[in-house]
Amino acid sequence: MSISERTTTAPPMALSHRGILSRFGPSNRAVFPWVLMAPTLIILFAIGIYPFLYSLYIASHNVILSKPYLPRIFVGLYQYQALIQDPEFWHALRKTLLFTVQAVFIEFWLGLGLALLFQRQLAGIAFMRVFILIPMILPPLVAALIWRYMFYPGAGLMTYYVGGITKALGFGEIPFLSDPTIAFQTLVFVDVWEWTPFMFLMLSAGLASIPRQPYEAAEIDGASSWRVFWTITMPLLRPAILIAVVIRTMDAFRTYELIVIMTRGGPGNATTTMNVFLTKTGLEFFDASKAAALSLIMMMIIIVMSFVFIRVFRSKTEVAE
Amino acid sequence: MNIVKLSAATAAGLSLLMLALPTHAQTEAQKALSGKTVHFLAPSMPQFAALAKFFPEFEEKYGIKVVVDEVPFENYRQKSLVEMQQGTGTYDFFAVDVMWLAEYAAAGFLEPLMPYVKNADLTDADYDIDDFLPRVISGTGVFNDTLYTLPIGAGPVGTTFRADVAEKAGFKLPERFSPEFTTKYMYDAAKKVNNPESNMIGFANIPGRWFWGVTYLPYLFAYQTPETKGDEYVDKDWKITINNERTVASIDYFLSLKEFMPADSANWGIGEATAVYQAGNAFGTWNYQDFVKGFFEDPETQAKVAGKNVHLHTPAGPDGVIDPWFGAWSLGVSKDSKNKEAAWTFMQWVTSKDVQARATQYGAGPSRHSTYKSETLAKYQPWWPGVYEFMLKETNPDERVRVPEWAEISDIMGEEGNRVWIGEIDSKTAAANMEKRMTDAMRKGGYYIPGRNDLPKQQWRDLTYYDRLPSEWN
Repeated sequence: MSISERTTTAPPMALSHRGILSRFGPSNRAVFPWVLMAPTLIILFAIGIYPFLYSLYIASHNVILSKPYLPRIFVGLYQYQALIQDPEFWHALRKTLLFTVQAVFIEFWLGLGLALLFQRQLAGIAFMRVFILIPMILPPLVAALIWRYMFYPGAGLMTYYVGGITKALGFGEIPFLSDPTIAFQTLVFVDVWEWTPFMFLMLSAGLASIPRQPYEAAEIDGASSWRVFWTITMPLLRPAILIAVVIRTMDAFRTYELIVIMTRGGPGNATTTMNVFLTKTGLEFFDASKAAALSLIMMMIIIVMSFVFIRVFRSKTEVAE
Repeated sequence: MNIVKLSAATAAGLSLLMLALPTHAQTEAQKALSGKTVHFLAPSMPQFAALAKFFPEFEEKYGIKVVVDEVPFENYRQKSLVEMQQGTGTYDFFAVDVMWLAEYAAAGFLEPLMPYVKNADLTDADYDIDDFLPRVISGTGVFNDTLYTLPIGAGPVGTTFRADVAEKAGFKLPERFSPEFTTKYMYDAAKKVNNPESNMIGFANIPGRWFWGVTYLPYLFAYQTPETKGDEYVDKDWKITINNERTVASIDYFLSLKEFMPADSANWGIGEATAVYQAGNAFGTWNYQDFVKGFFEDPETQAKVAGKNVHLHTPAGPDGVIDPWFGAWSLGVSKDSKNKEAAWTFMQWVTSKDVQARATQYGAGPSRHSTYKSETLAKYQPWWPGVYEFMLKETNPDERVRVPEWAEISDIMGEEGNRVWIGEIDSKTAAANMEKRMTDAMRKGGYYIPGRNDLPKQQWRDLTYYDRLPSEWN
């Protein structure tokens, strides 16, 4: 039997399998990668892109969950316009940015300081390293509850001891959660307590990856520690700094549990950040459209901030190289 | 010998008691429900804890299992509304707070109940719906003339004071609903005993921004005059009318109580104020009548204050107006339940005369005439006299306007009020801000669309609407 005869007499099923293989199999270099990626892409679409598209749809309609009988009218960009005209939105945005900048700034420098300190071979350093990481390991909800009780009026450890000291000094009790400014700074303090270990961990890993040679050359040249830090350590640490700062900025921007557990956005609206405002809009007033528009704006802000960070750090890293 | 006699007497007494308790014969339809499980979503609150004590008895009697999911009160509205909105029927019945009924019923989340009440196969013969106080059942469960929920207790908010502390200071507190108990009286009394150095503050107020809708509102109402009654913050055209001198005066009064509070109290909620009172460190505080036993009179958990309290109304304002507060929780069957009949069987049993009366020993409040008159209530909660008449004739179920916008209105009131408390703004600015922001909320809700003629009815303008016999509703 010749080859051509064998081909023509092959069963139709085998033919179709072969057809599928030739169309989607490894021999088709244009299509096969997509076939391999398809399961991931489907999952990504289902859990990432579909909700995003649905948010766009909700934000462009008038959907109030507690009034399901109202018709879903197309309102275009009205929700965004209403938000931009809403002083509460600007207040929440300002508070969020202030919280994020303060918390990440302090966490970065404290984390870097600790990472540099822990580079030295000191006694008990391994134990201390584990100890330092504990706040980060705690679920944010638990950490917030611990601190809420620490600041409990009249009975918390902080209010009792720190209040005792300030009273003895003649300053009276500190209204940790009742004064608008102090309450905001108390939240920053707790966030710093919880997330400095993360910065420490990331920057420690970055420091460990820096080669020894530049330091040895600097030592031979007689460079001061200060100069070594700014001209060798910081430039070579930039990739780790970029990752740590971007991740923490995104996280701090979205802080929720800490604020809701400790102050619920109060006193007044002193600690009402974007996430608190979003939750109130979506899950207390059930204004799904306004909440969807707000969440999309938040997403855009986070993307823009991350993009700016990456551009700035990349350009500086390129210059350094 | 004495022990034998005592045991015999106890056994005889218990037997008589068992005979005296109503024994409902189950219908065939009820028997057919045996083996089913019903799911109940409820907030963590004393009255639901009281009802939970009866689940085993119900399960044994009807063979229907009750599974309850308790959610902290702060999260309950979110959780219940999201569940109802999804329409999965995960929960067969829900606890419904009085101010949410219109929202839930209008959205079609709840099952009308009168067909069940009238169904002799599913409802015990002695259920007697007309035994409920008319204003309580209609205020709690009626929307657009249709019954959607059954009350499991209702009452006013009020104030609780330490009678022993007053006595030591040389004065006696007045009776509940006495006109003598005014805002001025309360302030003066609190000032008289206020002594923070000895751990006794005059009044543990609740200024946290999330609570003004229940803790400040009674003062706003008390500061009205007979002429402004009904227009406390909304007029007959749904225009917001809160920016006036009465609001400013009531905020100023609320703020005057700050004098007795510690520095770090701007976020105090019900939990904080109650804890301070329970610890014996406050002369007075806010209460809700159905919480009294659970919060103030349990000798096991509140040993420092139980039995030493006087429970009063919220003080009358300068013109003698007493806040007509109406607070209540009720039970409603989910429209999406797959076990509606089983859910109803539980609901009618737990709101029956017998169970309602017995539940009062654990802290549940009354909503039936028979419960108010029961010996159990008199024995275990002797602080209800006077409330019966108030709930029959004075109370206003619409004090917190029952529209979906209430959540936002209450939030605005709290935020602006709390800003006054922390000194960010003054009371005049707060009243002006409240009016502007509440108006925006109502506008967004479509209340000011010219020509709109389907706006909710303002039943509070003629409270006799709520006085129909319960069986007359649809």
